Amino acid sequence: MSREGFVPPTAANLGNAASGIQSIKNYGVKYVCAQCAVNFTLSPKEPVRCKECGHRVLYKARTKRMVQFEAR
Amino acid sequence: MSSIEKKETDNEVDVEMTDAGASGNGTAAANADAIAVDNEEDDVQADRSKITLLPGATSDGFAASFQITDEDHTLGNALRYMIMKNSEVEFCGYSIPHPSENKLNLRIQTYGGMTAVEALHKGLDDLSDLCSHVEEVFSTQVAAKDYSIEEP
Amino acid sequence: MSNIVGIEHDRVTNTTSTDFPGYSADSAGSDWDLEKFKKSFNLYISYISERTANFDLVGLDTSVANAFRRIMIAEVPSVAAEYVYIFNNTSVIQDEVLAHRIGLVPLKVDPDQLTWITSEADEKDKFTDDNTIVLSLDVVCTKNPNASPDSTDPDNLYRNHKVYAKHLKFEPQGRQVELFANNPVVPCDPNILLAKLRPGQEISLRVHCILGIGSDHAKYSPVSTASYRLLPVIDIKQPIVGKEALEFQKCFPSGVIDINEKGEAYVKDARKDTVSREVLRHEQFNGKVKLGRQRDHFIFNVESTGAMPPEEIFFKSVRILRNKAEYLRNCPIGNLN
Repeated sequence: MSREGFVPPTAANLGNAASGIQSIKNYGVKYVCAQCAVNFTLSPKEPVRCKECGHRVLYKARTKRMVQFEAR
Repeated sequence: MSSIEKKETDNEVDVEMTDAGASGNGTAAANADAIAVDNEEDDVQADRSKITLLPGATSDGFAASFQITDEDHTLGNALRYMIMKNSEVEFCGYSIPHPSENKLNLRIQTYGGMTAVEALHKGLDDLSDLCSHVEEVFSTQVAAKDYSIEEP
Repeated sequence: MSNIVGIEHDRVTNTTSTDFPGYSADSAGSDWDLEKFKKSFNLYISYISERTANFDLVGLDTSVANAFRRIMIAEVPSVAAEYVYIFNNTSVIQDEVLAHRIGLVPLKVDPDQLTWITSEADEKDKFTDDNTIVLSLDVVCTKNPNASPDSTDPDNLYRNHKVYAKHLKFEPQGRQVELFANNPVVPCDPNILLAKLRPGQEISLRVHCILGIGSDHAKYSPVSTASYRLLPVIDIKQPIVGKEALEFQKCFPSGVIDINEKGEAYVKDARKDTVSREVLRHEQFNGKVKLGRQRDHFIFNVESTGAMPPEEIFFKSVRILRNKAEYLRNCPIGNLN
């Protein structure tokens, strides 16, 4: 796999694409700016930069899925 | 009597102990006592795995080892003390055979005045009497409010 | 035999209970006798504050006093967070660490108002308004627009940057609206720091709190500490006077030894002694003093976490021990197979 995380569909991973694990259409990844905390998406070819303030440190947004823990 | 007969079929050692205890005392009162105990057992929903008889009981019932589940030193040591405070009891000791198993082994040997089961039951009764008294005294004293409510 | 445990400079003596029939020729009459116990048993309450109780139990055996102590710590039920459902947590504290911290927060809930959870029940009907308290925590940290420009103080720069236990909000379910109308569920100590945030970070979660006991997890223990110590005994064998008396006094915490008008040291309050054995290190007091502890005098100290009054925790421990005895008494003796 390439370091960008985007893999063009090939015969080997078409199964993944079909089951929706990796969406082919919307391959923009959600990011949060470390400086101004704004939410935006970047596609693989775009420069790693905040769209508001231009800061170059970005966090990947956390999953929206609920996670359960035991308080132990 | 039906409850005793039922036991004879499925619970050999248990019957051996009650019978031996009664004949050992040789009194009608003791016999009646044994029956009363059995009827009482039928009243509660039977938790037959809470306490079991371990191998090593004498046929006269004067010495026996028990295994109690889900109990530890909390009950074990207090119960051992109460059983030892009975002049009919020659020996009483407890052990937790393995720390990761919630089991408590209890050994009782008597001089012959009562069976090990009777000594165990007396110990349990005495322990609950003790607790009742402690609770009573503590609640009277708390209700009397005759104490400071500030830490010194 | 005396009921004083001897304390020497390098050893303890007479430590075990011997009040059993048949232990020795003069132990006759040590059979259990409830009436005799009622006469000899004494209870003095020193103080009971909101969180702490201090009382003496006199005339008990260690095995029973220890049972009360162990039950207070490990078997008196209380309510604590058990399941944490995290919707969002972008703070630097990891989900499982945050969940663990929330679990340890003591909650002001009367445990008698909840029932036990049945672990066999379906996940769907496991939690009801009878057995579960729901709390939620939703905090978003933002920049303070009114912050002074040269400030470096996070309290001034940010809003909601510290997440405290008091931010846990009670969400009454079903009949809990009426049941907890007058005493809503809150953390006993509101200012427990759970996490720190920076602008843009957010915590959003729900908590299910259930009944449990301390032997399952320490968070369910209703006490911070529950301990006893034996009453110290200081026996001055020969008069200690003058300069020696002052030195003798210095061997104990203040208030233990006083000096009378004749310049002679006497024991004012042995209860205050810590039994440090300092006095036994001094050659000049050799043979003049004997230290000990009274074997059947237990000074209990019970500190509640705040969920229930400390005296109630002791009450419950006594009841639990009695219930254990009565339950076992009614159990049929089965065979080991």
